[in-house]
Amino acid sequence: MTLLSGIVLLGLLMLHAFTSSQGQEANLLHKAALVKQLRLTDLCLFTEARYTRHLSQADLNTAFQDHPLSMEHFPSGSFTQPNLPGITR
Amino acid sequence: MNVWIEKQRYIIDFTISSLMRRKVKNIGLLVLYTLIVFILASTMFFTYAIKREAAFILEGSPEIVVQNLVAGRHDLLPVSYLEEIKSIRGVANVESRLWGYFYDSLVGANYTLMTPPQNQDSHKNQGKTTVVENDNGDPHANHEAHALFEYEGALLESGTLIIGNGVARMRGIGKDDYMPFMAADGQIMNMKIVGKLSSVSELVSSDLILMSEADLRKLFGISPDKVTDAIVTVRNPSEIQTVAGKIKKRIHSARPIIRDEILRTYSSIFNWRGGMMIVIFSAAVLAFVIFAWDKASGLSAGERQEIGILKAVGWETGDVIQMKFWEGAIVSLSAFLGGVILAYIHVFFTGSAIFEPALEGWSNLYPNFTLTPFINAEQLTTLFFLTVIPYTVATIVPTWRAATIDPDSAMRHTGG
Amino acid sequence: MIELMNVRKVFNAGKPSEFSAVNGVSLHIPENKVTVLKGPSGSGKTTLLSIVGCMSRPSAGRVKLKEREITSLPERFLTDIRRSTFGFIFQQPNLIKGITVLENVMLPAYPLGEKRSHLKARAHRGLSELSLTGKAASKVEWLSGGEAQRVSIVRALINNPSIIIADEPTAHLDTKLSYRFMEIVEKFKAEGKTVIITSHDPLVYESKMIDKVVNLRDGKIEENPT
Ligand SMILES: Nc1ncnc2c1ncn2[C@@H]1O[C@H](COP(=O)(O)OP(=O)(O)OP(=O)(O)O)[C@@H](O)[C@H]1O
Ligand SMILES: [Mg+2]
Repeated sequence: MTLLSGIVLLGLLMLHAFTSSQGQEANLLHKAALVKQLRLTDLCLFTEARYTRHLSQADLNTAFQDHPLSMEHFPSGSFTQPNLPGITR
Repeated sequence: MNVWIEKQRYIIDFTISSLMRRKVKNIGLLVLYTLIVFILASTMFFTYAIKREAAFILEGSPEIVVQNLVAGRHDLLPVSYLEEIKSIRGVANVESRLWGYFYDSLVGANYTLMTPPQNQDSHKNQGKTTVVENDNGDPHANHEAHALFEYEGALLESGTLIIGNGVARMRGIGKDDYMPFMAADGQIMNMKIVGKLSSVSELVSSDLILMSEADLRKLFGISPDKVTDAIVTVRNPSEIQTVAGKIKKRIHSARPIIRDEILRTYSSIFNWRGGMMIVIFSAAVLAFVIFAWDKASGLSAGERQEIGILKAVGWETGDVIQMKFWEGAIVSLSAFLGGVILAYIHVFFTGSAIFEPALEGWSNLYPNFTLTPFINAEQLTTLFFLTVIPYTVATIVPTWRAATIDPDSAMRHTGG
Repeated sequence: MIELMNVRKVFNAGKPSEFSAVNGVSLHIPENKVTVLKGPSGSGKTTLLSIVGCMSRPSAGRVKLKEREITSLPERFLTDIRRSTFGFIFQQPNLIKGITVLENVMLPAYPLGEKRSHLKARAHRGLSELSLTGKAASKVEWLSGGEAQRVSIVRALINNPSIIIADEPTAHLDTKLSYRFMEIVEKFKAEGKTVIITSHDPLVYESKMIDKVVNLRDGKIEENPT
């Protein structure tokens, strides 16, 4: 019975995902518009250093880009990978 | 068929009551298992949602950003380069950007200061290009001429700021408050806040402070013949790569960054291969393996005795295996559902509260954003198969051995 | 009804601990009668009973149930026969802990997939016959020894077996409850069931309703017990 209600709840959440991703389209468009308007290049996820704030603009000599597995100075460095032309997934 | 269904119902009922019997052990197991699914699903939801969101909102980012590299570092770009780039075939437009970082020692946060491009309609007279408007060396004269930038009714003029929501939150300030800066020449600039960027847009604007070009130059001491970087619009989008190559060829110190690279940066963020992710992932997998192994390694004495009794009263080995199947299925399904539901709530309702400390890192300013719940059905299915199936199998495997338990063992055991 | 022909049971064959618990027993168990297997501890009573009840296979010899050879049947069929023909009352009540009395009683019928309301009604009737109505919803841990035994009797009867096998049913009962048990056995007999009991309790094997007493010693039948 709990299983059944779990499945129902999951279904509801999926529905929520569907409807709210539709509903949040305005927000997404708003963000996209701001990016366009201000000529932004990056998400404001990590503000601790210039190369984590503007990941895509970081120069190629910055420490954290040595290796994607290296836990460097900032924890956020380990979430990211260098923006090298050769690296694709 | 009816008989079969009824039989399964009986077996499920019995399974549930036998799970309830070893309450502490089974609930402990379920909690641990749910936690693993929760961590995996949270990472999955968060990662996927942020990637989708980044891909969507950064679609409008500049086609090409041109940096000037000096000794391997990002340096200011001479204004003269702009004209040079503009003369390259295929370039439709070149704009300059003026931005930089500011460390606020009061709250220990880094802000991104930038000059917004002027509204298109406010300077039609300059034609398509909005570039070199300050080379007369007297920015003020220019600024008074036309309103610079308007954001939701707030007019950005010299001496005023429009701040991101994160900045407002950090400093506890808002519209009509003043924010003092010490300029490069030691002068104090007391700037008035005239507007705030929407909180909805925090994911891209949290740490921004917009100010007029003249103010920014004064604050950082940037001479009028330098800008931070240039952004290039290309006539034919399919030529972005070629144009970037031409720019590099023409200006040797230039580093063009094309939009694809920006998008790629964010499509690779939070990858499974990334350091922290691999730690989380392997820890979860390890825990799961240990625990499946523990399950598969055998039946407890109590379970053996119980199976003996069941066989003695007329259950077949097949019935016992079905019971164990349901046991595995119920536990793993509950864990899967529980974990996924909690993860969904965690990521999309609480804004990934648990991940926040890790994401924040050492930064004091962290954007407050709610992600759009993009769900990848494929990932969810993968997670389902990775959790439910192995566990159920691991539960059934030792019961093959139950086949070797003679029903007459029930006649032998002592006690109870 | 049941025919044993030269049945042997060897445990741990081929190992140093090899032990022959039943040595060539030939025995006829008549239908609708009460048969008692009697003998000292370790004489092989339980072992023989489990062979009769299709719970284990003899190492040698043959067992016939209603003229049908069952020694060589695959396990599926044995289970089927066990479920439909035999009701077991074990030396210990062997109830499953943590679930209710009612669930315990219904357990042997689960694989049959019978309609729930029918099964429940049958279980309740069985419980009320042994005055256990009030205990249906209790957990088995809370039962007294005699109650637990009675629950195991109800469980043995749930599939309406024609043969009832009881291993030392009075071992854990006081005199009064033992007499009560013999009354129940008498009722089985009246209903036309075949009963096989092992016991070394005189109260059982000297009872007047017993039709046949078989003496076992060291896994063999003693023809002339002293
Ligand atoms: N699985 C087994 N492996 C080895 N020996 C066994 C096994 N089962 C029973 N035995 C031995 O077989 C002999 C007969 O056992 P059984 O349980 O049939 O005796 P019993 O007559 O029922 O005794 P009691 O009256 O004490 O219940 C015993 O010596 C016992 O140790
Ligand atoms: Mg015995």
